[in-house]
Amino acid sequence: MTAPETNQAGSSETGGVFDETIGFFTSVKTTIAVLFLLAAASVIGTLIPQEAGLAELKATSSPFLYRLIILLDLHQLYRSWWFLLLLVILSINLLACLLKRTRTLPGDWKGKDGQVSFRMTVEDGRSPSEVKNLLAEQFNSLLGIQPKESASGDTISLAWVKHRIHLLGFPLIHSAIIIILLGGLVGIVYGYRGYVSIKEGEEADRFVIKSGGSGTLPFTIAVDEFTLTRYPTGEPKEYRSEVRLLENGKEVLKGPIIVNSPMTYRNISLYQSDYRAVGVKWVKLAILNPGSEVEEFLVRPFQTTSLPGASEQIRLHSLDPGSSARGQGVEMIATGPDGESRRVEVFRNDPEPAEVGGRKIKFVGYQTLYATGLQVGYDPGTLLVWWGSGLLVTGFLLTLFTNHRRLGVIIREEEGRTTVEIAGRSRRLRQEFRQVVREKVGLALGNPQAGPRVRKGV
Amino acid sequence: MTSVDLNSYVTFGYLGVFLVALLAQAAGAGASWGRRLVRGTLIFVWVAHTASIGLRWVESYRMGIGHAPLSNLYESLVFFAWAIGLALILAHYRFRAGAILLLGLPMTVLVMAYTFLLDPEIKPLIPALQSNWLVAHVVTCFLGYAGFAVSFVAAILVLLSDSSSSLAKRLPATRILDEIVYKSVLVGLPMLTLGIVTGAAWADYAWGSYWSWDPKETWSLITWMVYSAFLHARLARGWSGAKAAMLSVIGFGAVMFTYFGVNYLPGLHSYF
Repeated sequence: MTAPETNQAGSSETGGVFDETIGFFTSVKTTIAVLFLLAAASVIGTLIPQEAGLAELKATSSPFLYRLIILLDLHQLYRSWWFLLLLVILSINLLACLLKRTRTLPGDWKGKDGQVSFRMTVEDGRSPSEVKNLLAEQFNSLLGIQPKESASGDTISLAWVKHRIHLLGFPLIHSAIIIILLGGLVGIVYGYRGYVSIKEGEEADRFVIKSGGSGTLPFTIAVDEFTLTRYPTGEPKEYRSEVRLLENGKEVLKGPIIVNSPMTYRNISLYQSDYRAVGVKWVKLAILNPGSEVEEFLVRPFQTTSLPGASEQIRLHSLDPGSSARGQGVEMIATGPDGESRRVEVFRNDPEPAEVGGRKIKFVGYQTLYATGLQVGYDPGTLLVWWGSGLLVTGFLLTLFTNHRRLGVIIREEEGRTTVEIAGRSRRLRQEFRQVVREKVGLALGNPQAGPRVRKGV
Repeated sequence: MTSVDLNSYVTFGYLGVFLVALLAQAAGAGASWGRRLVRGTLIFVWVAHTASIGLRWVESYRMGIGHAPLSNLYESLVFFAWAIGLALILAHYRFRAGAILLLGLPMTVLVMAYTFLLDPEIKPLIPALQSNWLVAHVVTCFLGYAGFAVSFVAAILVLLSDSSSSLAKRLPATRILDEIVYKSVLVGLPMLTLGIVTGAAWADYAWGSYWSWDPKETWSLITWMVYSAFLHARLARGWSGAKAAMLSVIGFGAVMFTYFGVNYLPGLHSYF
């Protein structure tokens, strides 16, 4: 009783902190604990508003909670030092387990580890080559591959190896997660996200960075037009900005930016985010000529427009988007050739058209002037994340849809009888594999009721 | 007949299958005719369910606003129930455990009944959802959810037979139930992974960021971490039986919160 205890104490004294650290990082217990801590932290992150103003949080939280929030960065939890520390521990843990496991991979690949899920021995009266052919026929159809055959003296060995690639599932999944986390890190360090709002007909190259401050793009965005299309039911169908990108005043790219269809130039992506109505682009009016023909013309804000076919000048004063029973309409200043100005109101639902300089004017419609809100995104880590995601999915598919199976058969003649030793290994569905191999042996040698003697492997 | 009518019939159909399964269980769980009858009726109702989803798809094209019927809570619930139905059929084939239907079918009926409370009208697709990623993202997520639902059902049965020996006699062997708990997660987790990856790809394409800690994103990650912990606890620490079942139940709680709970938190997924 005492000897092992002293032994233990001795090893912990000499191995010390180093062994314990290695043990901590290669332990699956650590993995499970860190996963639960990350999950719990994430839950908190969805309950406390993230990126909210501190003043707002101070107003809505109790003093104790507010102090806790400040102490642990709970208002920017996913960027806090302790959340990142958990991710770092997870990464080291993953890497350590990966290294530990991949050391045995070459042996597994070559089948030298000698581990088996089951072993069985059968005896038969027929000759070894006859038994070999009967068994090979069944196992070939079971696994869909041909065996490797070798003979030495009076011993014949057959080996089937199926879906060895299954072994790559584990390293793929675990290295993929490390790569994804690395990609995230690259994004945090080198990437940025921002926002710029540009009026139709204007251009900009400066944007506001989300995490604070502002930046300048290596090109200029010129917005020609923003359109909002609706379904007949009134729900929005499409938000679309027609833009041109200019570099040193020269156009380098032109096209639309639509929700779900961003524009990318020099690895910087521009996304349709939102829009604002900032004014009036134009107002369409019509002159009712005596001969009942209608002549339409546009009036733009902050410009003086000559009334077609008359000497009066008009200038927009204000627009009513339809707040009263008179419907949509405009108020204008009309200036005659004598320099006299007067106020004219033209509304859609007015029974009588307005009159300027002897001409009857009707309101037709107007176009809103929009400012489009574009998101600016640059993240050099994205490529790593996609590589990682691809490997992750591949790893899962390998694990799920392939199954590494090994079947070894050794046939030898002993005292006039043929002895067959069968050993098998399956990564998944072990019981089922053992069962089906047993059935096939019965089918091949036609001795199902006696059945082979099965010894479970270690 | 419209797809909405067909959905009502399907709901009562699942209720009918549940009653048949109850009778078959009472008559003797091992009887193979009973198992075949239950499975036959279940497949019949599930095929009708498939037809109703297909019909709704066709209807949307007839209205001139054609899109896959995965665009709002009503449509996602119908699809969720369909995926649970599929998972139950597969689990029934694979493990021959009729008892999981006794708990799984009421769940399906409940999900379908929830749609009765919602507006079933087919609406045009809002700009944020107009993407080819929609189908890949939603289908993989819900197939994952369905796997977790079957795991949850088996886990509840494990906990029930763990708590009462008289119940345990009527239920399938804990070894089989435990296997269902585990195998369903083994299918569900890769599906959820695909769902999260397609969602991230879509988010990157549409919003310029593959991950923005939106509540639904975060909760799907929480779900992913809980089931990852489950697999590690099981494969490396040998957890099974009631302990593993508890983890599966916690995981399904996270699934439910990812699906319904986050609608009460603000975020980009608030139209679901």
